[in-house]
Amino acid sequence: MAVTAAQPVPIRLTGIGKSFEHGVKGRIHAVRDVNVAVVPGELLTLLGPSGCGKTTTLRMIAGFEQPTEGEIHIGEKNVTGLRANERNIGFVFQNYAIFPHLSVFENVGYGLRVQQKPEDEIKRAVADVLDLVGLAGYAQQHPHQLSGGEQQRVALARAIVFRPRILLFDEPLSNLDAKLRVQMRGEILQLQKRLGITTVYVTHDQEEAMAISDRIAVMDRGSIVQIASAEDLYDRPSNEFVARFIGRTNLFDGKMRDTTNGRIVVEALGQTIVANSAPDGILPGDTVRVMIRPERIALTVQSTTGVGAKVLSRTFLGEKTEYHVSVGDQLVQATLYGQGKQSAFAAGDSVQIIFPADGVHLMKP
Amino acid sequence: MSVTSQSPSNAAYRDPFFAGIILLLWVLLALFVLYPLACLFGRAFVDGGTISLQPLLDVLNNPHHRRAFGNSLILALAVGVGGTLLGFLFAFTAVRGGLSRRVIGFIDTATLLPLISPPFTISVAILFSFGARGLITYDLLGIKGFAIYGFMSTAAAEMITYFPIAYLTLRPILASIDPNIENAAFSMGASRARVFRTMTLPLSMPGIANAFLLLFACSLADFATPLILAGNDFPVLPTEAFLQITGQFDLRGGALLSILLLVPAAVVFFLQRYWLQGRSFVTVTGKAGSRSSVEILTPAMRFTLFALCGAVSIVVIYFYALLLFSSLVVAFGANHTFTFKHYHVIFTEGLPAIRDTLIIAAIGMPLGGIYGVVVGYLVARKQFWGRQSLELASMINYALPGTIVGIAYLLAFNDKPMELTGTAAIIIACYIFRYSPTGIRATIALLHQVDKSLEEASESLGAKSFTTFRRITLPLIMPAFFTGLGVVFIRSMTAISATIFLISINWTLVTVRILENMTELSLGPAAAFSVLVVVIVYVVLFLIGQMLARFRALEGGRVESILGG
Ligand SMILES: Nc1ncnc2c1ncn2[C@@H]1O[C@H](COP(=O)(O)OP(=O)(O)O)[C@@H](O)[C@H]1O
Ligand SMILES: [Mg+2]
Repeated sequence: MAVTAAQPVPIRLTGIGKSFEHGVKGRIHAVRDVNVAVVPGELLTLLGPSGCGKTTTLRMIAGFEQPTEGEIHIGEKNVTGLRANERNIGFVFQNYAIFPHLSVFENVGYGLRVQQKPEDEIKRAVADVLDLVGLAGYAQQHPHQLSGGEQQRVALARAIVFRPRILLFDEPLSNLDAKLRVQMRGEILQLQKRLGITTVYVTHDQEEAMAISDRIAVMDRGSIVQIASAEDLYDRPSNEFVARFIGRTNLFDGKMRDTTNGRIVVEALGQTIVANSAPDGILPGDTVRVMIRPERIALTVQSTTGVGAKVLSRTFLGEKTEYHVSVGDQLVQATLYGQGKQSAFAAGDSVQIIFPADGVHLMKP
Repeated sequence: MSVTSQSPSNAAYRDPFFAGIILLLWVLLALFVLYPLACLFGRAFVDGGTISLQPLLDVLNNPHHRRAFGNSLILALAVGVGGTLLGFLFAFTAVRGGLSRRVIGFIDTATLLPLISPPFTISVAILFSFGARGLITYDLLGIKGFAIYGFMSTAAAEMITYFPIAYLTLRPILASIDPNIENAAFSMGASRARVFRTMTLPLSMPGIANAFLLLFACSLADFATPLILAGNDFPVLPTEAFLQITGQFDLRGGALLSILLLVPAAVVFFLQRYWLQGRSFVTVTGKAGSRSSVEILTPAMRFTLFALCGAVSIVVIYFYALLLFSSLVVAFGANHTFTFKHYHVIFTEGLPAIRDTLIIAAIGMPLGGIYGVVVGYLVARKQFWGRQSLELASMINYALPGTIVGIAYLLAFNDKPMELTGTAAIIIACYIFRYSPTGIRATIALLHQVDKSLEEASESLGAKSFTTFRRITLPLIMPAFFTGLGVVFIRSMTAISATIFLISINWTLVTVRILENMTELSLGPAAAFSVLVVVIVYVVLFLIGQMLARFRALEGGRVESILGG
């Protein structure tokens, strides 16, 4: 295989910030104080709602925008102030930005032409990379003859063919239909692992982020809120924004009662709930936010440890059944898997909710 | 029971209403487009009942005429290249220069002025500046007897007059290039120059070619600028044809010269229509990206572009300021005492010309607007035999240089059976058939955006064709109607090349009065007339812009569409 893994490099963002002058709104801080260290060979995703500054951050890494504060290192080199054409990056745009007047071959070979590689080497490299992305035989096609998925592959091939030091993706799948999206993200991940190129990937789709990333950096209003693996984000979000943004969740106010013997007891929903860990610096008497995912909750008819509740509604979805139950005036969502019709609860039933200690996560308010 | 299959190609003819309209259009086109052309060719080639090419060969053998032909081509080439370069500079700066709204507004104003001016405007301003007693050559530099006349000044005046057309053609094309395409090339290590050469330039090539052809045709047809500036040593075809007819009363010679002009004009027309059509690289990749800063320009480059455009804009505005000034002083270059004398002249002696021009424009405007919409609608929506020929015929007078049309009308309507010379009707007809094609094109473009099912829904409810047209289609194509109105009005106020042959004691035009004033060297009234025309056209354009804004929901009706091409 001609397209082989190069020595992967780290990317370091130190105190990056970017503000724009806006005609009406004045100065907008699109990105503020972002610190990230992307490990060599890692695929790190910037995840967050639209407008939170993901694209701006990515474009600063690329060199399309210059940060107003902070420094960017690619490998050991400080690239702050360098332009995009001096950074040796591969960039896949949201709308692909295929060169509409050039054939697939010329699109993919553009970067190599720029590097003044010999013609036969260009031919070989382009053929190899087209093979790699599943476009063998497409070299002479023109962009308008390609489907969305094929254009996406051309964009990918074009970004990797000249072996950039890092790869950057800005919502590359958002213009594809749902099925293709799932397929392509698998291919991108496979390719990235095979090439071992350090990659920053931007998306607003949490499922896509979880499927593809080694680590995810969740952004909110220009700042990074938490960087962690998908599992950690899901089970141990650092604040309510992350908890709500990723997956569905139940959140209650609680009051810390006791932290002795490694057992953490909080008072919430008028009951005592036990958790396995608590955030640093929380003392008995402090208020906390209590989080538990719907599928971690158990519902039973009778239990000594449970909390009394009333079933409000039931939605059968095949593999799972979703319940809305009320505990006092608090609404709780619960998802039960593999529940047959016999054991189902009906609206109006009285039930007991069980919060397993390893499913309860406490956060600072 | 037998089912008779209907031929779809004649569907429209089965509706008596449309059959009648199509027939009427053919009669009008035959009368005002084909018949005059036939007269032109007849006068040129038919001699005593036999067809002869000898007169044409005689014209070609005349070295003076050969030079005029060559000069016309060289001038058109120079104006095409230079004007397109200027237009590209302006368009590129407007789209990629990161300028503030206010600066772009200033540039737009500067480029709007030449588009709404009567002919001679820039020429007069150049004379005022660089003539023998010119503000710059004489007063500033102290050069005595500077000879401004010739190729250079003519080409410069035409470039300044016509480059805004290139600007309006190129700006939307450059704006439609996704900045991320340039960014992508840039991120692959390409230098700025390379990005420009391999992306920006090829992607705007169809627009550049189109702008060049438009300007080439404009210069080829321009009769007014060379008349003032070319001088004796640089004859060009339109002025030669004019002088042949008005100076030597040689109608056949004029006809033959104008036919020489027809050859390059036809080449341009067919290149535009069949070669350029559909050659554009508008984004194939779905939605354009979000607002992206463009890296292909450094701040220094941006500043340079801005400075260049600013300088050209200032020159244009200086020319107009000069015109305004000279309309307000007793005698420009000699006596700079403030006076309203020239305005007094144009509103007393000149009043008939103003009145005639306004009457003609006011009658031509609605007729031209309706004609444009009707032809556009039929061509875009109806299937009938001869549809493409009808469209082509409707475009002919638009594509022909005005000199040809004027001479052809002069020949066609001078005698029985169609004696129209000396009437307003001939001038109005000339304007309608020459300037409505913009409205036709706007209608076709708009209808291509509107789903046909809207009309079919109405027809399926049993509405007659005319009801459907009036209730459904007409409101949809109102923007095109206003575009058509605007073009006919503006050109009625500013055109001269065709109508100079058609005026009479009964009906004259402001533009012709300007020319007369200039030949009598009464430049003050000429300037005052020009200022008046610019103001009137500006006001009407503004009003039409307001009307178009009401239909903003439907794209396709922008003020630019009135002015471009
Ligand atoms: N060139 C720009 N000028 C002004 N504001 C901008 C510019 N680019 C982005 N912004 C603003 O910065 C914020 C972040 O934008 P962006 O990075 O595109 O968000 P995301 O990619 O997460 O949706 C938004 O409020 C956006 O309006
Ligand atoms: Mg974005």
